[in-house]
Amino acid sequence: MQRRHLMTAVSAVLAATIGFGSAEAQDKPVLAFVTNAAADFWTIGRAGVMAAGEELDGYTTEMHIVSEATAAEQRRIIDDLLTRGVAGITVSVIDPANSRDLLNRAAEQAVLFTSDSDAPDTDRMLYIGTDNVAAGEQAGELIKAALPDGGDVMLFVGTMGAANAQERVQGIRNVLEGGNVNIIDVRTDEVDFARAKRNVEDTLTTYPDIDGLVGLWSYNTPQIVEAVRAAGKVGEVKVIGFDEDPVTLRGIADGIVEATVVQQPYEFGYQSMMLMAQALDGDTSFIPENELMIVPTRVIDASNVDDFRAELQKLLAQ
Amino acid sequence: MQKKDLGLFVLILVVGAITAFLNPVFLSPVNLGNMANLVGLFGIFAIGIGVVIITGGIDLSVGSMFALIGVIFIDLMTNHGMAWQLVLPVAIGLGICFGVIHGVLVTRFNMQPFVVTLCGLLIYRGAARYYMNDATIGFGYAGGFETLEWLAAGRSFGVPHTFIAFVIVAIVMGIVLHRSVFGRYLFAVGKNEEAARYSGIPTNLVIAAAYVISGALAGLSAVFLAFYTFSIQPSAHGSFYELYGIAAAVLGGCSLRGGEGSIMGIALGTVLLQVLQNLVNLLGIPTSLNFAVMGTVILLGVLTDQQLQRRRARLLAVKAHQAKTARPQPAGA
Amino acid sequence: MSEPFLQLSGIGKTYPGVTALADVDLAVAPGEVVGLIGENGAGKSTLMKILGGVVAPDSGRIVIDGQTHDALTVPQSLAAGIAFVHQELNLFENLDVAANVFIGREPRSPFLKLIDQRRLHAAVRPLLERLKVDFTAETQVATLSIAQRQMVEIAKALSLDARLIIMDEPTSSLTVSETERLLGVIAELKAQGVAVIYITHRLNEVKACADRVVCLRDGVLAGKLAKAEIEHAAMIRLMIGRDLKALYTPPGRATSPGLEVSGLRTILFPDRAVDLEVRRGEILGLAGLIGSGRTELARALFGIDPPLAGSIRLDGKAITVNAPRQAIAQGIYLVPEDRKRSGLVLEFPVRVNVTLADVLGHARGWLISASRETTTAERQKQRLNIRAPSVETEVITLSGGNQQKVVLAKWLAMEPAVVIFDEPTRGIDVGAKSEIYAILRQLADAGVAILMISSDMEEVIGVSDRIAVMHEGRISGILSSRDSFTETNVLELAVNSPAQAAAQPAAA
Repeated sequence: MQRRHLMTAVSAVLAATIGFGSAEAQDKPVLAFVTNAAADFWTIGRAGVMAAGEELDGYTTEMHIVSEATAAEQRRIIDDLLTRGVAGITVSVIDPANSRDLLNRAAEQAVLFTSDSDAPDTDRMLYIGTDNVAAGEQAGELIKAALPDGGDVMLFVGTMGAANAQERVQGIRNVLEGGNVNIIDVRTDEVDFARAKRNVEDTLTTYPDIDGLVGLWSYNTPQIVEAVRAAGKVGEVKVIGFDEDPVTLRGIADGIVEATVVQQPYEFGYQSMMLMAQALDGDTSFIPENELMIVPTRVIDASNVDDFRAELQKLLAQ
Repeated sequence: MQKKDLGLFVLILVVGAITAFLNPVFLSPVNLGNMANLVGLFGIFAIGIGVVIITGGIDLSVGSMFALIGVIFIDLMTNHGMAWQLVLPVAIGLGICFGVIHGVLVTRFNMQPFVVTLCGLLIYRGAARYYMNDATIGFGYAGGFETLEWLAAGRSFGVPHTFIAFVIVAIVMGIVLHRSVFGRYLFAVGKNEEAARYSGIPTNLVIAAAYVISGALAGLSAVFLAFYTFSIQPSAHGSFYELYGIAAAVLGGCSLRGGEGSIMGIALGTVLLQVLQNLVNLLGIPTSLNFAVMGTVILLGVLTDQQLQRRRARLLAVKAHQAKTARPQPAGA
Repeated sequence: MSEPFLQLSGIGKTYPGVTALADVDLAVAPGEVVGLIGENGAGKSTLMKILGGVVAPDSGRIVIDGQTHDALTVPQSLAAGIAFVHQELNLFENLDVAANVFIGREPRSPFLKLIDQRRLHAAVRPLLERLKVDFTAETQVATLSIAQRQMVEIAKALSLDARLIIMDEPTSSLTVSETERLLGVIAELKAQGVAVIYITHRLNEVKACADRVVCLRDGVLAGKLAKAEIEHAAMIRLMIGRDLKALYTPPGRATSPGLEVSGLRTILFPDRAVDLEVRRGEILGLAGLIGSGRTELARALFGIDPPLAGSIRLDGKAITVNAPRQAIAQGIYLVPEDRKRSGLVLEFPVRVNVTLADVLGHARGWLISASRETTTAERQKQRLNIRAPSVETEVITLSGGNQQKVVLAKWLAMEPAVVIFDEPTRGIDVGAKSEIYAILRQLADAGVAILMISSDMEEVIGVSDRIAVMHEGRISGILSSRDSFTETNVLELAVNSPAQAAAQPAAA
């Protein structure tokens, strides 16, 4: 008897959920953005996605956060979206090598873009995002400028499995190769903030004379800032970062961080939604030969950090 | 110090000596200070989990509690400008509340601790993400809590305050567990709940209290952790940390069947885990091997301990047999 | 009688520091029932393990059907037709009878090698018919009583074509009538040519069923008795090497009102009320069949399963017991039936077990004073003659009798008003038994009201000052004078056939 009650309850909930979902889907075609993690970066991206949603009369836009940052969770979300029959999906691909079949299937059923993290071997229509190698090279130049006399640097990132991590490292290596700046190693932390911080602490103790620290993912630089401040090494060690975490920006203002290379996630979200809608309306003339649409990265340093912060606040306030 | 703890202590010394030999930086004051800080961070809640394990239960929810309590804590301080003297009790109080809920579900409603705290793990994580809409929250530019920041993340005479807090918690809990009436009840309930009940021990109360202690210590740890990472990503903050706590407790001699364990053991277990993570970084072992190293050492540690215990049990059995056979004539004859 | 098919001669076994067996001879012929007696630790288990092939003897020979072995292996023992019915039953409660009988030897279907249920049940049915049991091959073991489970074990032995069934304390958990039935089955087995080695502490059962008795003491053969010589006194003399004093000691003081229970209803029989009085200074024996509600009564009085209704008065004052804590606070203590599970924390030392119910009394503030605990434990160890190397010895290493004394010590260290003993001497050997009876009497003489639940007829009759008998949740009668203490009287009340004149019907 009890089991039957439970079954009834579960099916009622399921029916309600499905009904809710499909009712929504029936209204307007849905354009979805699937992230690769939960981060402030995507909070800005969400602003772009939502702004596009306001502008597009014929479409509803959605943001799906892959909070566990695992390929499995991302796969499940994409599967669900396809089952619901969405019109367009933009994905920041977590595991490009092993997601080909899924993405190709998605490309068959809907308009498929990639953004931020690409999967070039698939049938996706367009990649909108950063050229991470170029961004890495930009950071490499910043390192060179910060360490004119050369020295040792350590890189920090969540996991080297991600394409953007590999590409940024590649870009940095491209620039530093043959120069007098030596990369000791890349430390990974599996997106555990405490581990990220202890990696920096341990680096500062193991290599007391280290000259530079580079944070490749958005939370790495804040952890570097905290650890450097706690170790009393402000000024002794140069910090270069990526992305626009408030602590990173404050670090620039306070002179702890030299500079940070920022992407434009707002543009990722906004452009992907607008262009998917355009493609669905039959116009694909905007797609270039190489199917890549690069949104350039910017360098934020002491000279422009205040303006950038104001700009950011405006975006997030929307 | 019990024999078991002594073995663990020796293991730490050996691992430490090898690491120091390969990289003398290991013993530098800076590194020791950093390690002490981490031991403090991970040790406080490990003790809480250990107490629950001694009752024969388990607490899987603390990692998610860190995220939920952490985001509420930072939100109240930075966005609502509440005084830290108020927010700190709120954080610990939240932990106590969760502990009470776990305790009541386990004792009154006879649910299995694994299920209760697994659901806690899922619920608190979800609540934290919902609360923040998946955004990261940090202390950022906010001010006005410099005292608390100093208390939670500062150092006195080079000793991190987290470590001092850990030592205080360990001493207090050591006395509670190994000297007090409550501690005696706790071990009795863990080893044989029925016999404890037949001896008039309020078993439900004792078990529930263990979850409350774990919750309270998790609340305290959440504050320390928030100040360590300085920002919290609700989906990842503290993820898997309950397993660090369980690992430290098991390494320290707590049996998952209950009734066994010591505060000294849990403390040493935490130290060993942190030394292992430190040596991975210091010796340039690929960071990806981090978990593998930890897993291997725990496995070997527990295996060795179990073998030693089995030998001891065999000796006891032989002794018991001797005692039974070599029995003198009954005195009443 | 036919020739023995199994002969052990000169069997010896030494463990480090202990001689478990020395120069033991034993022969078993088909259709013979051998009573094997001896105190705990006398070497009975070791001898049986050698027969089962689990332990190899250090010396001696084992001859089976003319073939000589130095030691048996488990398969050899099975092949010889030796089967065990263990004291702790080894059955799977979640399976049915047939599955248990053929566990590990299930007949398989030709296709897919699945279990062939039809053949399985067909093979078990005749075995159950042979034993004349009141359940079927399809019955779930979980629903069977202990006695019925024993029959399943015996069926298992028969399914192995056993020629010799070794029964280790088979009746320790059985009621009187169930015991009768088991003895009947043994007689049947005997008639079918199956030999039985019957190990027990209950000497009247030996007398009832054994063709001869073999007694071990401290690992050596203490003596043998032929059928005609099997008498209580003779067996006890062999077991402990001396005569045992008579069980009964009359009370040393007049009784006074103690515990009065009226209209008490327990969860097992919510529609039956119990009225009972246990007076200070007396030992009231509580007999009855298993499942008659005796243990439930004890649990209710001790607050484990609080009574559903009724009143309890102690020394004339009404009291409530909704938790063991409350009972203990009033001086009502319970020595539980399963001491290992409910009475002791086995891995803890004697000291901790003795003070477990009164830790607060051994604490300053909230901190335990180890020295106070040691003082109490030492005093109790001496008073009750607990044989342990020290009070820091883990209880698990002690013998059953000494473990039971630790449970007693826990309560005697406090101030008992009423002590309920549930099967106080189960699994305890004769010597320790008489010590425990002496403690019971001392307690009663000190003004404590004693309620002794027991399924051991000798014990109920031999120790009690009065006997109350329970039947299906209520008191079916009380025997007040020792003249009326006979097995027949107790049994008749237990099965609730019309009570004799000697029994006063209990007040309704």
